[in-house]
Amino acid sequence: MDGWLAFAQGPLFRLTFLIMILGLARIVILTIWDIGRAIRRGPKIPLDYWGLALKTLGWLIPVTKLHRQRPVLSVTSFLFHAGLIVVPIFLVEHIELWRAALGIGWPGIPRLLADVLSFFVIVTGLILFGVRCLNRRVRSLSGPIDYILVFLLIEIFLTGFIASRSFNPFSYNLTMLMHVLGGECIFVLIPFTKLSHCILFPLIRLATEIAWRFAPRAGEEVVRTVHGEVKPI
Amino acid sequence: MAATLEGQETKAETGSEPERRKYPFYVEKPLESGRVQKFLEIMAAIVRHTNYGAILNIYSRTSTKCARCSSACQVFQSTDDCEDIPCYRTNLLLKVYRRHFTLGGMMRGRLLGDPGLTERDIDEMTEAFYHCTACRRCNLECPMGVDHGLITHLGRYILSEMGIIPKALLVSVREQLEGKTGNTSAIPAPAMIDTIEFLEEELEESKGVPVKFPIDKDDVDYVFFPAVSDFLLEADTLMGNAAVLYAAGDGDNWTISSGYFDGINYGLFYSDWILERILQKEIDEVRKRKGKKILIGECGHASRTAKGFTAVYGGDEVVPVISILEYTHKALMDGKLDLDPDAITERVTYHDPCNMARSGWIVDKPREILRSFVKDFVEMTPGGAENYCCGGGGGLVSIDEIHDYRMNVLGKTKAEQIKRTGAQIVVAPCANCKKQLAEICEHYKLDAEVKGLHDLILRAIRLKPPQGNAESQPAATEQPAVASEIEGGN
Repeated sequence: MDGWLAFAQGPLFRLTFLIMILGLARIVILTIWDIGRAIRRGPKIPLDYWGLALKTLGWLIPVTKLHRQRPVLSVTSFLFHAGLIVVPIFLVEHIELWRAALGIGWPGIPRLLADVLSFFVIVTGLILFGVRCLNRRVRSLSGPIDYILVFLLIEIFLTGFIASRSFNPFSYNLTMLMHVLGGECIFVLIPFTKLSHCILFPLIRLATEIAWRFAPRAGEEVVRTVHGEVKPI
Repeated sequence: MAATLEGQETKAETGSEPERRKYPFYVEKPLESGRVQKFLEIMAAIVRHTNYGAILNIYSRTSTKCARCSSACQVFQSTDDCEDIPCYRTNLLLKVYRRHFTLGGMMRGRLLGDPGLTERDIDEMTEAFYHCTACRRCNLECPMGVDHGLITHLGRYILSEMGIIPKALLVSVREQLEGKTGNTSAIPAPAMIDTIEFLEEELEESKGVPVKFPIDKDDVDYVFFPAVSDFLLEADTLMGNAAVLYAAGDGDNWTISSGYFDGINYGLFYSDWILERILQKEIDEVRKRKGKKILIGECGHASRTAKGFTAVYGGDEVVPVISILEYTHKALMDGKLDLDPDAITERVTYHDPCNMARSGWIVDKPREILRSFVKDFVEMTPGGAENYCCGGGGGLVSIDEIHDYRMNVLGKTKAEQIKRTGAQIVVAPCANCKKQLAEICEHYKLDAEVKGLHDLILRAIRLKPPQGNAESQPAATEQPAVASEIEGGN
């Protein structure tokens, strides 16, 4: 078990983390390339970057965008996301790993806050998983990967939360191995699944705004490509 | 050309069993075979030449499928059918994109034996994209910012290039771009001129002043493009428009150009190429008349296409666009309109056309106008940018064969809204909304009349007679015209 854990925390961690970084870099570059090409093709009219940034930021603040019919679900989703972002980056133990490996570090959050946020992620994750399974509307939109991702995220936080607790029924090493492997699965999945919204989110509204600026003469080019010539309607 | 209606049967391309393809509307020249291949060819051409590739990529990567949009969609609220959830509809097209246009999708398709796009998928998309009114209300609720209305537009664009387009829209556009009359209602210019001469007489009789509809006047500030159907159906709206221009001192500073006088642009509903061609006609006509600005009448989509796309397709020198609602509001604020506060005694409510209000463009102005002279004005809730579509948006109001669907599904929420207001008059400054709302009122037996904003202004406005030489327009010279002050850029 020690060997497996060492492997998971060492080479496998480095490999999966690299895949995530390269994968995210790839989709960010591709997206910016797409947007840049659309801007070049489109009309030369100024974009309201500030307005778009405010709109995007507005969705990061739950107070302004609470779902009027389901406010509890909105708060649930916000707490889930807050824990997902804050704990992995600012947990003291994680920072220590970075410091040991690369000599870089940053201030962490108090243990109690990390525990509370992790607890929220587990509880809200279970609620969201339940909603995905039981709510007819959400279920109709869901494929296997939508369930797998929530399940994996809950698993990572649950194993991380109980690993060093006295009430952990499993061995520390086994729990930690599950925690690390779960995290590594997520690393690999982030660039290739909807989790990529973690980095593309700020660009979505910009891309939408630009898409409404149709490229002049593009319609004629489409017609010529598809039909060979412009025919009467 | 044979038209096709629901239940038309054609043979499947492969396999021996006939496959039923149900078009929910009349279709001219439906493609009989090779639909899957054609769909993919068209989609590839669109991705290659247009700007849709960026959103197809980013939406297909990030759509989280949370179903929050379902709570905003009146179609889903009426049907409770998960296939009417905006995100479900959008995903129909994103699935095709992922499977056929991304490396991962192609590899996964091969590995899992997924055949990809099928005939059934095309049928499902046809139905789905014409269930949607493209009102974009769902966009307000999407945390990711996915614009399902834009995907509906794109889906319809692809389908239209393979001949799947409601005949009602197609024949109107054909007449507008290639027909003798050059407008969607097929009104010959002499008939239009006859109509406005009659309206001038009516105005003089009712208001006692010679309000004119200047025809083919050059070097004016405003070239006017109403929804052309107003010439047939909305005389009061047009007379109200002319009365406001007269009162504001621009009575001889605007024109209707007999060469082209239709603000309607169905391209917004199904094709970038059509949108561009129609808008180009509008821009060319303004330049021909040496006009300074495009003035759009009471019409939601006409206003949005002109306002939003003149800068896109208008070249380097963009012609500014103003909606008549903006113009009238400015005239009111400048104290140029004398509206009788006792003229309208009925309870009045206001319906926001999606194409004006969703973006927040024209929300408060019409309300301020109405509140200035209507005694009993009540809000419809939700309203403004969060309004519900009348149910005829996205061109669906023109499709008579889906009348029952428009009433029972698309118009249900709006009918409930109107009923709650207890209004006797529903003001809707949009030709399409007016038609749909009038049909809704009749269908749901609501005791309400549907009117244009300028219909009420016409009833209330008090016009001063011209002074001095009757052939001139003293009102235009005595006070500074609105034209010189209003900002109308894009």
